[in-house]
Amino acid sequence: MTTISTTAPPVGRRLLARVADLRAWLFLILLIGFFEIWARTVYGSTFVGNFYNLQSIGTFATAPLLLALGQTFVIISSGIDLSVGFTMGLAAVVGAEIANFAAPHVGVFAAMLCGVAAGVAVSVIPGVVNGWLIAHLRVPPFIGTLGMYGVARGVAFLLATGMTVPVSNSWMTWLGNGRVHGVPVIVILTLIVVLAMQYLLSETRFGQHTYAIGGNRAAAVRAGINWQRHTIWLYILAAVCAGLAGVLYTGRFSAGAAQAGEPLLLDSIAAVVIGGASLFGGSGTIAGTVAGSLVIAVIQYGLVFVDVDPFWQFVAVGVVIIISVLVDQSQRRFLGGQQDE
Amino acid sequence: MERRSFLTLVGATAGAAALGRPALAQDKKFNITLVPGLTTDAFYITMHRGANAAAKALGVNLGFQGAATWNVTEQVPVLQAVIAKKPDAILIAPTDKVQLIAPLKQAYDAGIAVFTVDTFIGTGVYQTGSGDADFPISYIASDNVLGGRTAARALAKAIGEKGKVYVSNVKPGVSTTDQREQGFKEEMKNYSGIQVLDTQFNDDDANKAAAQAQAVIGRVPDLAGIFGANLFSAIGAANGVKQAGKKGDVKVAAFDAPQSIVDQIRDGTFVMTVAQHPAEIGYFGVVCAYAHLTGNSVPTAIGTGFTVMTKDNIDDPKVKRFIYTG
Repeated sequence: MTTISTTAPPVGRRLLARVADLRAWLFLILLIGFFEIWARTVYGSTFVGNFYNLQSIGTFATAPLLLALGQTFVIISSGIDLSVGFTMGLAAVVGAEIANFAAPHVGVFAAMLCGVAAGVAVSVIPGVVNGWLIAHLRVPPFIGTLGMYGVARGVAFLLATGMTVPVSNSWMTWLGNGRVHGVPVIVILTLIVVLAMQYLLSETRFGQHTYAIGGNRAAAVRAGINWQRHTIWLYILAAVCAGLAGVLYTGRFSAGAAQAGEPLLLDSIAAVVIGGASLFGGSGTIAGTVAGSLVIAVIQYGLVFVDVDPFWQFVAVGVVIIISVLVDQSQRRFLGGQQDE
Repeated sequence: MERRSFLTLVGATAGAAALGRPALAQDKKFNITLVPGLTTDAFYITMHRGANAAAKALGVNLGFQGAATWNVTEQVPVLQAVIAKKPDAILIAPTDKVQLIAPLKQAYDAGIAVFTVDTFIGTGVYQTGSGDADFPISYIASDNVLGGRTAARALAKAIGEKGKVYVSNVKPGVSTTDQREQGFKEEMKNYSGIQVLDTQFNDDDANKAAAQAQAVIGRVPDLAGIFGANLFSAIGAANGVKQAGKKGDVKVAAFDAPQSIVDQIRDGTFVMTVAQHPAEIGYFGVVCAYAHLTGNSVPTAIGTGFTVMTKDNIDDPKVKRFIYTG
């Protein structure tokens, strides 16, 4: 964890900030404990000691987590990207179509690589446009990315002619459903992205500048940070994460769907916020976002596992999100509104 | 403000075009507009194809305008823009049986013949002289309750008429998917060996539907089958079964027949799917409107059927033609 402030806060406060950082993880452990007790008392079986459940939750969390990782950078910079859901859909459709198109010419394995590359590459476009609108034309992020939400959605549906695009490519299927020593391939790939993002945010100047811009843009500009160029890179990063989620979706469900990411947008923003980021910018961590995504996945999976009535599931998920944000608010107040890292 | 004046301009232009049209009875080409529940769905795209075929055969101008998502607040403005252009007839899949009554009454009052396809307003029983929603001429659709029953019978057969099953559904409150679930559960009561577990709602998210299937299998290892009540419920549930390593043990039944489902019937991911006949709905919708506009009487309800697709019959041309295509 790096910090750009030069004066070290007092030890007590630093410890508190540390606990606040880990808040999402503590919450996750609490939730798992809760389901463990429930599963043991009602069904006499274990929840967390079951490798099958861990596999399932891991698989479930990947797509929202990939969207949330890029979103973490954008939110730390005090922006928001509402277009990631449909950028994911666009990448899913393009990945499917290119993989289909390439297969007869270059073989299934190379076609898989072409599909993945094309899906990720196409996602750069909405990223660049978003960043450019926000940094150079001064469009508020909420409005600019909402516009891109519509454009990406329309283009994706046009390319797919309103349908889902089926893919039959054994390597694409492996990408989405394969296992290495029992660990799903999509989980492994997502972990690699997590580590890369963790490095980028906490160990590089790029990460420091992201916090600086979100904390106080005017000060960041005075310090010589080119916030316009940086902002464009942030939105490209968010879009590329979404693009990767899109091609993995195509592999997993053997079909590219333009609406693939639509239901995931809010979950991904919720994951970032539960993870401790502030929507006002300047704070947030990758570890927090990972915990936030897992919290959402564990609740939704756990409630079905212990057989809670479906309508109560809606209530429970909403309540957990509210509690999580409330805890965050009170902690911030307790820490005197400090913007931790 | 700018947007509003632009819309007024569009409306005015459309109105002027309508007024300027020569009203010659002999060579009058009827204008019919199809308003789907949503434009981004293989079901409605296929319905459009069927409607186009009939329009071509009858020499009718067919328009196609709708919203991208299943939503009353998005469908109504589209409908109002269509009404402003004064087509002779509107074929519409209303996104709500109550909230669409008033907007459609405006069309009726403007002298436009209203037909509902796939979904309905009021009770779906028209031309009775009672109620505020009896003005549409006819309702052309497949019976989704019967569709759910059909799926139940086929799934029951696939699992040897015993075991535990559940419905993977979108969200409560959508008339068509609610009816499929209702039909499925009613029919399953006829099988004493089959137990229907709680429905799982996935918000049209395949990822969530997959996780739910994995969670249910985790709790109920002897699960026998899942009915996916729409596209994403079905492909999600099937993926969950695959991820759980239960492909073949847990039979997944799908509903609707876009190419992506059909491909996965071939590889055994789905044991069957219930294909509706949306092209038929579109075709007979246009024929029905044409008959009415030319002074012929038409039935107030037309029911179209279902085709159960399995690995064994999918290559039969009589079955294959019901795959949803644009």
